[in-house]
Amino acid sequence: MKIPTAMDDSSVSHHNGGQVGSQIGVSVNNKQNDEPSQSVQYSIPGILHFIQHEWARFELERSQWEVDRAEFEARIAFLEGERKGQENLKNDLVRRIKMLEYALKQERAKFHKLKYGVELQQGDVRPPPKEPPAEPEPAERAQWKQGRQLIKQYLQEIGYTDTILDVRSNRVRNLLGLNNEEQVEDPYRNYDKNELYGLLQREIRTGGKEQRKGGVPPGGVYNEEGLSVQETAAVFANFEFLANQEMDMDEIDDLDAKQPHHASGKQGEEVDHEAEEVLNELNMLTESEADGGGQGDEYPVVKLSGSTASQASAVAAGAAAGGAGEADEEPLALGELAQLTVSNEPEAYDVASANKESFRKTWNAKYTLRSHFDGVRALAFHPTEAALVTASEDHTLKLWNLQRTVPAKKSAGLDVEPLYTFRAHTAPVLCLAMGAPRSEECFSGGLDGTIRVWNLPAPTADPYDPYDPAVQGPVLRDHTDAVWSLAASHGRLLSASADGTARVWAPRAPRPLLATLRDEQAATPPAPAAADFADAASRAAVVYRDGSLLLYDLETGQAVLRVSCDSAATRVRSHPTLPILVTAHEDRHIRFWDAVSGRCAHAMVAHLDAVTGLALDPNGLFLLSGSHDCSVRLWNLDTKTCVQEITAHRKKFDESILDVAFHPLRPYIASAGADGLAKVFV
Amino acid sequence: MADGVQVLRRNRPGSKAKDFCRWPDEPFEEMDSTLAVQQFIQQTIRRDPANLEAILKMPEAQDEGVWKYEHLRQFCMELNGLAVRLQSECKPETCTQMTATEQWIFLCAAHKTPKECPAIDYTRHTLDGAACLLNSNKYFPSRVSIKESSVAKLGSVCRRVYRIFSHAYFHHRSIFDAFEKETHLCKRFTYFVTKYSIISKEILILPKLDDETPITQPVGESEA
Ligand SMILES: [Zn+2]
Ligand SMILES: [Zn+2]
Repeated sequence: MKIPTAMDDSSVSHHNGGQVGSQIGVSVNNKQNDEPSQSVQYSIPGILHFIQHEWARFELERSQWEVDRAEFEARIAFLEGERKGQENLKNDLVRRIKMLEYALKQERAKFHKLKYGVELQQGDVRPPPKEPPAEPEPAERAQWKQGRQLIKQYLQEIGYTDTILDVRSNRVRNLLGLNNEEQVEDPYRNYDKNELYGLLQREIRTGGKEQRKGGVPPGGVYNEEGLSVQETAAVFANFEFLANQEMDMDEIDDLDAKQPHHASGKQGEEVDHEAEEVLNELNMLTESEADGGGQGDEYPVVKLSGSTASQASAVAAGAAAGGAGEADEEPLALGELAQLTVSNEPEAYDVASANKESFRKTWNAKYTLRSHFDGVRALAFHPTEAALVTASEDHTLKLWNLQRTVPAKKSAGLDVEPLYTFRAHTAPVLCLAMGAPRSEECFSGGLDGTIRVWNLPAPTADPYDPYDPAVQGPVLRDHTDAVWSLAASHGRLLSASADGTARVWAPRAPRPLLATLRDEQAATPPAPAAADFADAASRAAVVYRDGSLLLYDLETGQAVLRVSCDSAATRVRSHPTLPILVTAHEDRHIRFWDAVSGRCAHAMVAHLDAVTGLALDPNGLFLLSGSHDCSVRLWNLDTKTCVQEITAHRKKFDESILDVAFHPLRPYIASAGADGLAKVFV
Repeated sequence: MADGVQVLRRNRPGSKAKDFCRWPDEPFEEMDSTLAVQQFIQQTIRRDPANLEAILKMPEAQDEGVWKYEHLRQFCMELNGLAVRLQSECKPETCTQMTATEQWIFLCAAHKTPKECPAIDYTRHTLDGAACLLNSNKYFPSRVSIKESSVAKLGSVCRRVYRIFSHAYFHHRSIFDAFEKETHLCKRFTYFVTKYSIISKEILILPKLDDETPITQPVGESEA
């Protein structure tokens, strides 16, 4: 605290000091104050109140800023993820170009052979080993210069400066091994890669055109270039997504239209066919690469620097330049290339259609589900529809139809109003499971110890329809304490309760309770925290508060596997296709267990705080986790790496995210929070 | 906490019902969440639901609009409990209209044009409508500050919500009594709307719940 001094000239600061002590301290302050009239205007309680008020206000603002900061951080993470995705895409495209270029050379060679019956003495495919690449034949060099000059002219026309050319030339030289200095990197970075990429594509076309117009003497080179341009155009036409980068498709059509003047019409008609061939050859390349150039004569192994060095025209040199940058980073992976699919949709990498790209996308918050008065403990998607049910500590469940939205005020997000509110629990609802497709039912378990079966109203229902008691199905009352977890599969229901048991139910049967699973070996049975069916509902995995994981055989009701772990478990999910169990723990870990041997296959620190939610996508490729650290994370199950992180919910007391879910069919994920909100991401 | 051990106020999966939310109180000043007021209200209710004074004692320097708003959220949330009980007894066949004393019929305001919903539907629709309104991003985008124009919306919600209490009181007395014994909700609500003058006294038709003398002063026209 500040100690008042005679130097202080404002009575406020005096009183501020007075806050430390008692009335005496205050009166001292007053004595020190030389202007009694001024102090009359302030009263101690008034000032204290003011200070407290201000403090509270600052605290509120601070907390709001913190929320804002968290949101911005999430945004940054998202954008970075997006950038990474774009870079991967770019690398991929560059590699494809490289491959196409090589395939073109092959085609050229073949064409030449067929036409003239002799091997094409093409330096670009097989450079004479003894001849240094930097010394092409004089004729070629002249041509090279000429081509380069033309391109330069052309580029200047369209606004590309010498600087870029220099950068490019540096890169080419670097590629050729003429100069290995790293300096190339820096200028290159000043330019947008996409720009250079577009530049490269333009060069490919313009270069060819100039060659033809320039009246280069007929012969191999001429034909080569003619064919090259045509094929390039054809291939590009086929790989429309490439054009998306910067290429103007009309120009290509133009080129195609002009082709017959320079090349045979037959070729023009067969562009698609040729492109296919190119692709086929790419497949063969895989093999030729694999046997280490055994077929060298027909399919020489690509030696990028060599081939480029003696390339007669700057065209190909330019084409290679774009790709070679990446070649430095990683070796050619032709095997992968063979599997690359060709998409004819120009917008294939748009965010909207990226859904189809199965999780190459990043997820964005789209719907906010606000209507619960308290924390949302669980959520589950409808098996087929764009709908979900949430369960809350406010004792209700709500059904939401994502196709019935009201536009939200500020953001691009949408608010959804609930379609129906399920009321019957007399305490917080803790867990939820969705019935099989077409059953139109869901199950909820609550702190009141009951499990309730609900008949879902139609997604077209009006929230203000008359009350229909038929929405309430049977009630399962055997548990004697809070029901914390539910799973439904094959018409069976599995519950885990704080009463120490997990139970298996046929929920609508006259005698619904099928089995009670209890850890017989434990002296004082620990409480189950969560349970999930495994192995086509023939087994049940149950995790306990003490960290142990038990796998029960549902035929016998006996535990067939028992593993222990030091940290309390909060969730368990079984992998949809593999014998793997995934558990979430309070020690921030997610653990993967071999469901046969019980071996811990992998353990990772997944969050900054207790992990509270787990969901596997229906194909078993991705894992979604939520935590009290306020974030949702998406994991690639193969590499166990985090693909995306989303900050989704605010804290209430020390709880934040309480559940996460994948839609079984549609591209939706969702999170439920202690802040009373549920969010759906697309 | 003072001893330096960090208390985590969490409900861990598998914990018993009796331990739910049973953690040491957190001083209001130390709550740094945007949901601090809700936390504080719930914490005070859990400590003693009958202690209306304590529950409705607003912390100093608290924004009164937010305070009222959070209390109303809590009322609507707890009223779910009354609605659940009513669902089993209050049938559209017997309670065809929303009435308290027989003097007026309340129209359900959840519909585009106010409608004569049966009592159970009135109850559900009113609570559903209140949930939507009180969670509306348009009127209540923040839990820490509330526009004056939105605070005005609280009054009509309170008026409608009070009719649920009064219907239960006059038509399903045993349910009302059992619920009230457990929650003291109607008493708290009456105290709340009186303290902050949210509803005019003559609309509060229920007898004072502590003494048993019913108030039988007729009140004017009903409104939706
Ligand atoms: Zn009734
Ligand atoms: Zn109605």
